[in-house]
Amino acid sequence: MHLKKFIITHFRNYEYQSLEFAPRLNLVVGLNGMGKTNLLDAVYYLCMGKSRFSGNDRNVRRNGADFFRLEGYFQKNGGAQKVVAKVVPGQLKQLEIDGKAHNRLSDHVGHFPVVFKAPDDTALALEGSEERRRFVDNTLCQLDARYLTELMAYNRLLQRRNAALKQMAEQRQWDQTLLQVYDEKMKVPAEYILQCRQAFVRNFEPVFNRQFTVISGGREEVQLKYKSQLQDTGFISLMEANREKDRVLQRTTGGIHKDDLEFLLNGMPLKRFASQGQLKSFVLALKLAQYELLKQQKKVKPILLLDDLFDKLDDERVNHLIRLLVEGDFGQVFITDTHPEKAEAIARNFGGEYRKFVVEAGKVAVMGEELRN
Amino acid sequence: MNYSSKLIEEAVEAFAGLPGIGRKTALRLTLHLVNQSPEKTVEFAEAIRKMRQNIKHCSVCHNLSDEPVCQVCADKRRDRSLICVVESIRDVMAIEDTGQYRGLYHVLGGLINPLEGIGPDALTIDSLLQRVAAGEVKEVIMAISPTIEGDTTMFYISRKLKDSSVNVSSIARGVAFGGELEYADEVTLGRSIVGRVPYKL
Repeated sequence: MHLKKFIITHFRNYEYQSLEFAPRLNLVVGLNGMGKTNLLDAVYYLCMGKSRFSGNDRNVRRNGADFFRLEGYFQKNGGAQKVVAKVVPGQLKQLEIDGKAHNRLSDHVGHFPVVFKAPDDTALALEGSEERRRFVDNTLCQLDARYLTELMAYNRLLQRRNAALKQMAEQRQWDQTLLQVYDEKMKVPAEYILQCRQAFVRNFEPVFNRQFTVISGGREEVQLKYKSQLQDTGFISLMEANREKDRVLQRTTGGIHKDDLEFLLNGMPLKRFASQGQLKSFVLALKLAQYELLKQQKKVKPILLLDDLFDKLDDERVNHLIRLLVEGDFGQVFITDTHPEKAEAIARNFGGEYRKFVVEAGKVAVMGEELRN
Repeated sequence: MNYSSKLIEEAVEAFAGLPGIGRKTALRLTLHLVNQSPEKTVEFAEAIRKMRQNIKHCSVCHNLSDEPVCQVCADKRRDRSLICVVESIRDVMAIEDTGQYRGLYHVLGGLINPLEGIGPDALTIDSLLQRVAAGEVKEVIMAISPTIEGDTTMFYISRKLKDSSVNVSSIARGVAFGGELEYADEVTLGRSIVGRVPYKL
């Protein structure tokens, strides 16, 4: 699968841009702050119906513009598909495939699988559990439309349950029945989500270990452990056990929104014992394993977006990575870099058609286009 | 807009404060009144004033009513063992228009929505529980929209009624009358299959 033609209107710092991408390798070069990442985010938006960086569409719209629009032509399984994302403030977000509008986000996500590797992905290993849940959710939403529906249902109910707890505290009234109602309603999505996430970690671990070995070249073994309060107890009994805590803290203290994915390197917590290099390898392996899993299960090669991949890596590692990308079984890949030389190095090693785009203040120029067989 | 008369302007402002009425429509309505006889406008204003001063909520079902007890609740021919729980007065009118229901109503005055600060206490749920506790009621029918707020409210009331001997039911959800199966959305169709009913000849 690949994105062939792409038209961006009023997205972040882009005013209007029409681009033709190469089916395999696309290099995006330019200085900091010119819009390389924004270009990748636009591709991501078209696939996922939202930005990788901001949940609020207002931040994605170009300053001063009153809408934004993305239009892409995908080549998939021998057929062409036109995808449009259009966002006008005050109106529902419009996502279309071949002119047909989708009412629900879950109808859109998963048709065009995508993996985004950004420099801030180290947060996956270093920051709180929310980042790791988001990673798991991001993968599962692309694999299973029902997962996204259940996740949205759970979050909507959670939001109301928390609001109810706050309100009860303010009015100094305690209504256990209302909480029980929310517990009952949250139980079904919670159980489904838990089951999916546990199955995901089981499938993901071997794929991840393979990727990590290739990237790090080492013999370290990595374990992934899914941790949930729901492993030993049912949802309703967990909520009942937390009743008093919820009342005092005025929010829902237990549930799948508290679950975590633990990374162990040779049996030790990654967060504390990994070096910077190990960390970078680890996070890249996570993303490439996500890519593998999506590829296996969707039976189509996802789009791979690699933002600033070579940042702060020594030459040896850069060469190793380039080899990996050239030899690996990838579909369409987008790589951004501030150094034209590194981009050239990738291009030299790469044995097929590629395109190079130079980004300058929201304008893209197609520079090098070479055909080699 | 520039009005030649302060009086006109005030009338336009008053109309424009109503839902669904913009400034242009408000002006059209005002000028219409001006073109009619003064008595007509006085009657019009009097009708509104009388309504607002005398309208009450029925002390039993909380429906709007002229008397302390509304026409439905006062009607001796109605089935007093049935209570239909609805969100608002408009739902009462919709169900009355079907001509299919001869029981009583209970108007909640909204749905439980903590995000909007509406808790169960803000609704007439306690009064419903009292009506049920009085003993005459055999069945409570929930006729509430199947939204997340509606579902929560139904669930809440059912839980509160769990210990009483009353039957709790909800209106059927499914394929629209005269609708085609292939055009029904999957959630609706799925529920219709799960909640199927015996076919009677």
